[in-house]
Parts: sequence; C-alpha cells; structure tokens
Amino acid sequence: MPTIGQVVENRPDVRREILIDAPPEVVWEVVAAPERQAEWFPGMVGSTVEGNVRTIATAVGGFFLEEILRIDHQDRCFEYRITGPMHIDNHRGRITVLEALEGSRVVYEQEIDPKPLVSVLDGAIVDALEGLRALIEDGTASRGWTPPTDTGVA
Amino acid sequence: MGRRILFVTTDQQRYDALGCNGGAIARTPTIDGLAVDGVRYERAHPQNVVCMPSRATMLTGQHVRNHGVWMNGVPLPADAPTVAGLLNDAGYRTGLFGKAHFEPFLDPFLRFPENRMGVTGATDEDGRPHRGFERMEFAGHGSAGLFHFGGWLRANHPEHMASFFPALDATLEVSSGRGGDTDAPQVRFNNVPREAYHTDWVADRAIGWLDSLAADDDWFCWLSFPDPHHPWDPPTSEQHRVSWRDLDLPDGYLEDRSDREAAIDAKGAHWRRWYDGSLVSNYEAPASWVPATLTPDQVREVNAMAHIENELIDEALGKVLAAAAARGWADDIDVVFTTDHGEFQGDHGFLFKGPYHVDSLMRLPLVWRPAPSAGTVPSVVADPVGLVDLAPTFCQIAGLRVPDWMDGEPLPTSPAVAAAQGRQRVLTEWDSVHSGGAEVHLQTLTRDGMVCTRYEPGTCHDGTEGELWDLAEDPFQRVNLWDDPSRRPLRDDLLADLDDHLPARPDERLAVQSPV
Repeated sequence: MPTIGQVVENRPDVRREILIDAPPEVVWEVVAAPERQAEWFPGMVGSTVEGNVRTIATAVGGFFLEEILRIDHQDRCFEYRITGPMHIDNHRGRITVLEALEGSRVVYEQEIDPKPLVSVLDGAIVDALEGLRALIEDGTASRGWTPPTDTGVA
Repeated sequence: MGRRILFVTTDQQRYDALGCNGGAIARTPTIDGLAVDGVRYERAHPQNVVCMPSRATMLTGQHVRNHGVWMNGVPLPADAPTVAGLLNDAGYRTGLFGKAHFEPFLDPFLRFPENRMGVTGATDEDGRPHRGFERMEFAGHGSAGLFHFGGWLRANHPEHMASFFPALDATLEVSSGRGGDTDAPQVRFNNVPREAYHTDWVADRAIGWLDSLAADDDWFCWLSFPDPHHPWDPPTSEQHRVSWRDLDLPDGYLEDRSDREAAIDAKGAHWRRWYDGSLVSNYEAPASWVPATLTPDQVREVNAMAHIENELIDEALGKVLAAAAARGWADDIDVVFTTDHGEFQGDHGFLFKGPYHVDSLMRLPLVWRPAPSAGTVPSVVADPVGLVDLAPTFCQIAGLRVPDWMDGEPLPTSPAVAAAQGRQRVLTEWDSVHSGGAEVHLQTLTRDGMVCTRYEPGTCHDGTEGELWDLAEDPFQRVNLWDDPSRRPLRDDLLADLDDHLPARPDERLAVQSPV
C-alpha cells in the first residue's frame, strides 16, 4: 500500500515521501516534465514553461512564477524555486525519485520563508504526492478541484 | 412543526460587551431584551480561546481532544459528526451565514470545500449539505479571503475592496499595521457604507434565506458575525456612536506602568515575554507588535471601535428577528447568543488573544431566549457552563436525543436545573506549536469560583508553573495564588479534578495545514 510519511516533524522545512508501484524511470518521466505538474498537483489548474521559467496557475485564480533550477536525469532530481509574484523571501522545492524495493520512492522537499507558508505547503504536498501516485498507478489526473467554467459570484 | 433555532455568534467578543452583562458603552437593546426574557449565563467559558477549536466545539458538542482541532489551522475532519447534520437529518432546514472557520482560511490551492464554495459562490458542496448545512454563505474579517462576502463586495462595491484593513501583511503574518487617531494596532477608518459592511451583509443573507423557507419549515440558522474580532475597522459613518476620547480606561487595564508590569510578573513567564516582545507564541496577534508599547489612548480607541461594532451587531440581529417575526415565527424561535472566545481589549496591558486563560478571553456572553411558546421562566445562571453544551441544547430544543458522541449536556434554564445536573466545572485547553518554534500547552479548570491553570512543559515552561485565581477576591486576576502554600491543598484538588474530567489525549495529533 502506498504511504505518505512525514519524515521531519515540527521543523520549518517540509519533507514528505510516497511509495509508488511503478519503475523509477516511469515516475521520473512525469516528474521531469515541469509542464505536467498541474496534472497531479491538486489546486493547480495550469503549468506552462518558457525557458527556465514556469508559470503555475492556481485554482484560486492566482499564479506562481517559478525558476526551474535543475532537471537532473541521472539523479532523477527536479529543483525549482518560487520567485513571485507573492512575497517570498526564500524558497527551494526539490522532488527526487528513488528506487524502492517494489517500485519507486518519491521524496518532495520544500524550504520556504515566510514561515506561515510551511504548513500550507506541507498539506498541499501530501495531496500532490497522492495525486502523482494516482496519475501513475491509476491513470487518473489530479483528484484536486478545478473551477467550473462560470465562476460568477451571485 | 417544532421550535426554530436562531444561533447567533460573534467573534472575539468580551462578556462586558453587552449591556445585560454590565457593559456601559455599547448599546445592545436587542440582546439585552433577549436576556430579560430568557436565561443569561454569568460563567460561560469556551473550551479553547481561538476560533477554529472553539467553533469545532460549538458544531460538534465535543471537547477539543475529541474533535481533534487542537489549534488554528487544523481542519475539522470531513467526517466529524455535527449538530447541523443531526438537525438536517431530522427534517430541519439548515443554514450558516457569516464566519464558519471549520477549515483553514489560508488556502492557495483550494484544498478545502469552504474556500471552494466561497470562491465560486456555491452555497453547498456540490449539491450536498456541507457539515450538515444546506446553505452556507461565508464572510471573514474584511474584503480579503476566499469568502462569498468578498465576491459580493467585488461585484457590487469594487471601489471598497481596499477600504478594509488587510488582516495579513505581505509576508502572510497577522498585520502589524496601525491607524485611527492614535496609531493603534489594526485600527482603520473604513469609508465603506454601512450596508456594504459584513455585519449587515450577514444579516441580509440570513434574512434572504429565511424568506425562502416555507412557513411550516423547521429551521436552524447560524448567524455568525465576524466582528468584533480585529481588525477594528467599522464604517466611518458610525464613528459618531462612541468617541474614544470620552471613554474611561477599562477596569482591567492598570494605567500605572509599574503596577501593570508587577501584575504581569505574577503570571507565567510567557506573559512577560510577550509583553516585552521577546516571545511570539502563536499566530493570532501581530508578530512584530510589542504589547509594552500599547498606550492608554490606543486602548481607548480600540475599545471605541469594538463597541461600535457591537452596536452594529445588535442592530443587525434586530433586523433578523424582525424579519422572522414578519413570517409569523416569533413565538417559536429559540435564540442563543454567544461568541467563540474573548479579547483582551486592554486588560492586563494587552490586545488580541493567545495562551492566556483569564476572564478577558474565557468569560463569554451567553444568552438563551427559549421560544416564548415553551413558557420558560426567565433566569440567571451563575454555574459554570461551556460552549460544549450548545449542540446538546439544540438537540433538546428540537426534541432529539443527545447523541453519545457529544460531551456536553443541555444548558440549564435555571440555577435549580443546574444544581440538578450537578454542574460544577468547565474545562478549557490550549495547545500551540508556532512556526517560530514556541510551544505552549495550558489546561484549565474553573470550579467553585476558582480558575486553575496548569502549564505543561513547552518552550516557555518547565511544567512547574501555573495560575490560580480567586474570582471573588480578585476579579481582575492580578494575584496569582499558584505558589501560595495555604492554597496548595485546593490547588491539588482542582488539578486532580481537572485530570478526572479531561478527555484522554488522542493517540495522534491532527496535522496543522495552515497558520489560520
């Protein structure tokens, strides 16, 4: 059974991991495609890439600008940082796909300031890893919510 | 056809906010009238002094350890049983208008249904009741946030989106912005018209829903005003109601600095450290605000703003009651009025709230005006009761058996009923782990006119400190009897009583998913 474990508890940085029943190269193919993150990260409704800049559209109607720092096919490690437009003092996100006894172990780490975002990202990453597992094992896209076409407010 | 239930809550309101409780600033004739005709409680306490745990207790009738929402940012589990669900299953129409906060507010990925509903304008969860409510329309403390009110304001008064004080700053900390005449924390002159302020909006949405119901429907309506919680930014048009320059300082505020600081030093270490600005223990107050800098005039201005908001709430409630009466329901409505927790509002030299179990934050306004058709004799109850007793009370009103999963019991309608119930004590807990590293854990028992608080080991306390207050001799809680040898037997007895009645801690603590 896949599990999501909190590896480091009560510390500002977030580190979560999940076991996925698929070979590492299969998992890595998805993780290494930065434009596909919205397929498995609930609450993201679009991800586009130009050069090393990724733009993530969120379900709340906002967006993140990110700089892609590293796509390392040898270590199967993807690194990025959020650069705006919201105020971010420091951020580093890292997704690593490791070989496991049966399938793959995916580790998702984030370091971020301001600190109020730590718990927000922690919960989102738990959902994201579960979304990645569902996409790869079951072929289902993000179980997260996407906005309806008409978002008019009465 | 049964008794309808109008459950009215405010946010962060003090016991003395109301005229019926001795308040002499805000005029609150609507609530005072309910108290005259109903039951007024003089010792009602929350089971936690911040929003999410306290609201989860109201909705479930459970102590914090049983519903699991141990601090702000922890969502109430999606499958938690609720009194709204029970009532809805029994045929009641159910609605909530205003602040819910059963799920975290800071949610950029829209992980929580309440925020999804607020963003899209949906009033239910994909066609189903959410937490037992058929209809929900949310408001927060201003124009920001993922609430129906913000969407409505943007559509109808876009020029006033920026009129409200922004609760969070750019770093997502609680804003330490200042304003007003005295440069007071979280005060702003807000030029939004009164009809576009969230207090009236909440009342109007509730009235709209009530008007949509059939005359013979039974209903449970939670009218949940976001005020007088900070920021203190009522419409400028209402400033004439209370002038801060005319206010006396509150009795709980010692103007002499040395007296004030001596009283703070009689309490636990975390009090003094927050006062001096060397400790940020929780997210619920501006992290960079130092209470020692609070001036008497700022205390006056914050109080004036809060009391203006209290008056607006009273008038908005009056509108809802009038609308319900116009439907012919006046004789069959039970009205329960309370709040989720209190506010320092200058007491002890502080504003806002935190891990401080004193009357400023724990003694709450609570009034139950039973339906006139029930023939309940008006009364005043001084015995301790808790918000944990609200959900069982709603069950009783609706003629439902109080389920085993509720921890409380129906509120007593008189001292005699309280005695028959064996009411002796009420429990309050605090647990917090701040992202900056501070960890505080308090457990409090109130019984026999004493308030006894144990500090469990954390980053501020070693487990030997605590507070013991004699409410009759020391109503402003300035003389801490915790270390008084003559009170040691009483202290030991109260702590043993606390251990006997606190539910067991859950095996696993629910994850914090947002700072608020």
